[in-house]
Amino acid sequence: MICSVKTPSLARSGRPFSVSAAGSFILLAVLLLSGCAGRLEKASALYYQGQPQQALELLDKGDSLGGRNALLFLVEKGVVRHQLGDYRGSIDSLLAAARLIDQFETISLTEQAGSLVINDWMTRYKGEYSERLWIHSYLMMDYLLLGQFDDALVEARLALKRLEQYPDALKNDYFTRALMALCYAQLGEDNDAFLVYKRLAADLGPAPVAADLVRLAARIGMPDEVETYKSYLSEALPQGEAELVLFVANGRIPVKKPGNIILPTLTRISFPYYENRATRLPSLSFIPSDLTPSAVLSTDMAQVAKDALEQRKVQIIVRETARVAGKEALAQSVGNKNGGGTELAVRLGLMLLEEADTRSWLTLPGRLTLVRIPLVAGHYQLEILRGDSSGPLPLPEFDIAPGQRLFRSIRF
Amino acid sequence: MKIGRIIMMLSLGALVITASGCTGRVTTREVAPDEKVIYDEGYHFSDKKAIVDHMVKSLLSKYPLDRAPDRPVLIVYGIANRTSEHISTSAISDDIRMELIQSGRVRFVNETQRANIEQELNYQYGGNVAAETRIAKARQIGAKYMLTGTLRSIEKDQPKQFRFKKKTLMYYSLNLELTDLESGLIEWADSTEVIREASKPFIGW
Repeated sequence: MICSVKTPSLARSGRPFSVSAAGSFILLAVLLLSGCAGRLEKASALYYQGQPQQALELLDKGDSLGGRNALLFLVEKGVVRHQLGDYRGSIDSLLAAARLIDQFETISLTEQAGSLVINDWMTRYKGEYSERLWIHSYLMMDYLLLGQFDDALVEARLALKRLEQYPDALKNDYFTRALMALCYAQLGEDNDAFLVYKRLAADLGPAPVAADLVRLAARIGMPDEVETYKSYLSEALPQGEAELVLFVANGRIPVKKPGNIILPTLTRISFPYYENRATRLPSLSFIPSDLTPSAVLSTDMAQVAKDALEQRKVQIIVRETARVAGKEALAQSVGNKNGGGTELAVRLGLMLLEEADTRSWLTLPGRLTLVRIPLVAGHYQLEILRGDSSGPLPLPEFDIAPGQRLFRSIRF
Repeated sequence: MKIGRIIMMLSLGALVITASGCTGRVTTREVAPDEKVIYDEGYHFSDKKAIVDHMVKSLLSKYPLDRAPDRPVLIVYGIANRTSEHISTSAISDDIRMELIQSGRVRFVNETQRANIEQELNYQYGGNVAAETRIAKARQIGAKYMLTGTLRSIEKDQPKQFRFKKKTLMYYSLNLELTDLESGLIEWADSTEVIREASKPFIGW
């Protein structure tokens, strides 16, 4: 594509320096845009090939060109370390990612200028609204798995802040909302837990959270709310003196794709969109077979990611319009002063540089599901059946005491 | 040649943008423990000192510790973190305990070392330690009071409007309680607050 710029007609225009400079510029831009993203994609490929350790080694090499993808390296490491059972390492990466997002609140003029002249790949990746929320979701899981309930509650409060910032885009993340309620309930913050469950009941229907609402309303002293939600309780609701909570991740989140519109003036408008890829809700059953979940709350990550990108659409359109107008003005100015051949070369160069920012958090699952199983205290050796042809997935053996809530994370 | 210049400038601009963040020199300076250094609206080490000083003064000057003649024994059951930050509340309770011990008016059960005390006792009675040097069993002192607390925060952002700076108001409150373990009554309670406003620019280089 770079060679195609060096057309004979351009050479005849007597401006060889312009053409070679344009070529250098495009080559430089391509190098800048490809280097680190390639490392992220390779790490993601290794991860999905079942080689998380190798993926981590690659991610540890980091972002070598100016830190534009620093956030992605941190969040990818967060998920890979979580998968490897290194929950402390996962926390370190994800807390660093959260701190980085705080820094993004200040708009950098140099960065904005770069993105307006070239494309959005020139900016530091700041994370979609959904991805910003999922940093807190994974931190909540990590802290709960480590038994650091105070810290899990801190993350629940930060997740609530994100949900309040972008309520329409994020309301379908039922997994994170249920996880937040669990963090509140774990530390006896009954009123906060009740409010989260009540909002879930409004959006999802009361049945999946009715048992929690009845229990919490009774403890807070709200008999009218107890009566309201009692009618939604299933008679066959399993009971137990302890609880196993499973964080079940399955599938993979869709990647962003570039959408393109090319106008007759050789003006290219490029925008990101998520490809359609649904991840089914896993049909889970357990061995021993008498174990039944009391609650299953699941998030279709693709749907939430799409909603979040949709919410940002206006911002993307405004930036795209400004960039197109700027490039058009530049091309016309060059054409007026240097002739049609040079204008064509510039238009081609600018068109090649217009590229949708398709960066995203690649190692996320397609679906996150919260499964709560009431248990009698004792020693357990559980196996999970996934409702397909794959064999049973054994959980490491565990003991559970009366009143205890035990957390485990699985991904398939 | 103008187009060449424009393109070269764009290339240079891209390089500058990419390399930004690599410039600048690291500088350090010593900070006195009682100096107030505050970067943002969040919790800082100087807040801990103010909180601890207030609470220790209140505990020692009010009932029941102000008139306790026999250096009562306390146990700390930690301070719950109910803020939106990962704050080490054990650092607050450790400092409160240290200042109270240094006052000479109270004593503390070392709750965090119970497992190690048990391990050492087992070792002493395991056959390797001379009988006359072994410490006596069942002579530990029970606590009379339990010290507990909660650190809370409320954050309020300035409403969305056209502005160049974002203002945030942060409110921290620490509540402490002293519970009589025999009667179950809260014999002392106090709270201290830190309220701070910070503004951050929306636009930077």
